[in-house]
Amino acid sequence: MRTRIIAKLDVKPPYVVKPIHFEGLRKIGITSELAKKYYKQGADEIMYIDIVSSLYQRDIVFNEIEKTANELFIPFGVGGAIRSLEDISKLFHIGADKVVINTYAVQENPEIINKAAEIFGNQAIVINIEAKKWGAHWECYTDCGRIRTGRGVLEWAKEVESRGAGEILLQSVDKDGRNRGFDLELCKKIVESVDIPVVVASGAGSLEDIKEVIECAKPSGVAIASLLHYDKITINGIKKYLRNNAIEVSK
Amino acid sequence: MSNVIGIVNYGIAGNIHSIKKAIEAADGITIVINEVSQFSDVDKIVLPGVGSFKDAMQELENDGFLEALKNTTKPILGICLGMQILSTLGFEYGKTKGLNFIEAEVRPILVDAKVPHVGFNTIELINSNEVLKDLENEEFYFMHSYEVVNYTNISSLTEYSGHKFVSSIQKNNVYGVQFHPEKSRDAGIKLFSNFINLQGEG
Repeated sequence: MRTRIIAKLDVKPPYVVKPIHFEGLRKIGITSELAKKYYKQGADEIMYIDIVSSLYQRDIVFNEIEKTANELFIPFGVGGAIRSLEDISKLFHIGADKVVINTYAVQENPEIINKAAEIFGNQAIVINIEAKKWGAHWECYTDCGRIRTGRGVLEWAKEVESRGAGEILLQSVDKDGRNRGFDLELCKKIVESVDIPVVVASGAGSLEDIKEVIECAKPSGVAIASLLHYDKITINGIKKYLRNNAIEVSK
Repeated sequence: MSNVIGIVNYGIAGNIHSIKKAIEAADGITIVINEVSQFSDVDKIVLPGVGSFKDAMQELENDGFLEALKNTTKPILGICLGMQILSTLGFEYGKTKGLNFIEAEVRPILVDAKVPHVGFNTIELINSNEVLKDLENEEFYFMHSYEVVNYTNISSLTEYSGHKFVSSIQKNNVYGVQFHPEKSRDAGIKLFSNFINLQGEG
């Protein structure tokens, strides 16, 4: 199995931003330009996550998404502020291949997962889980780690699978933006607990971090954000390193 | 000339946007087919598909596209679910009859690995065709939970975690690919280019 290497863009339209431990935001560049750059670098997918619209109850910024989609001939996942089947349908029509849902499903209406999976196919429905560690377990958060939900991560992961989600995007509130490695225990636990693909995010600070999480947790994919933004490491560079370490990745 | 490609637009799930873009990148001219009469304006047909087998067949019927598709002699390329519904029967959300171009059934992927099968993977040519020309060593993007079970019209197989499944089929003017050429970088654009250059009827 080839582990997917995914470029994750945390977006405050029209910019890609870098959240610092889910708090401050730093502007990195124009979203559509960075998406194209990472596509050319060999990303297996691009994930576009609007990290502000949900929190501020804003609408989805469709024109930015369409502009970004137009540059890509690889799968494009879109998340942030999705609240209805109409939102999802519209996103597919402007070029998204997958939608990434968190807040609305976990806080208000988990049933949207079942409905969306039935209409659009489960492979197109990704559930984003933001996990924060509390003692021996993890709890689901929303809106970039700002809001507690009271739901256990393990239980929620199993529930979204049974409701028809086709994939989980697993983030760690504790590790995100710090570039100091993944929450390996969390990643391993969730990958082993569900039969659907799990893409892990939050923590890639070096090539070794990426290798470590793949070897330890065997995720279907690794989503990388800020590590890519400073041109120190390219996606092709990551793939080459992984290949040299006997980890299968696409060309 | 034979490079006007009609993309069948049906249902609320469709992602025809990326397919249109990829065909245009391969120098094809596209027409989005929204009504039956448009089938006569095109040389070839692309049948996309997002959603479930059952919904897709229902939508094709509601839009009045079923007969037009069944009766055409123009080259057809089914993509992902669009390939699956070329089969006789589907078993997603109950049992549903397909377009029956190809004697096949569509069943859940049975494999000891994560499903859906998602990501780039290679194809092993079994009985190549013009659409797959020069693409043997390329990788294509897959994103599916069901597979076409067929023994007679296999063009290529793909292995996922020790399990081989049908990744493309062909019978007469009908072609199907389980993967998404529109999401497969240059290799996918090359596949569309092969389809555009097919010497078909129509």
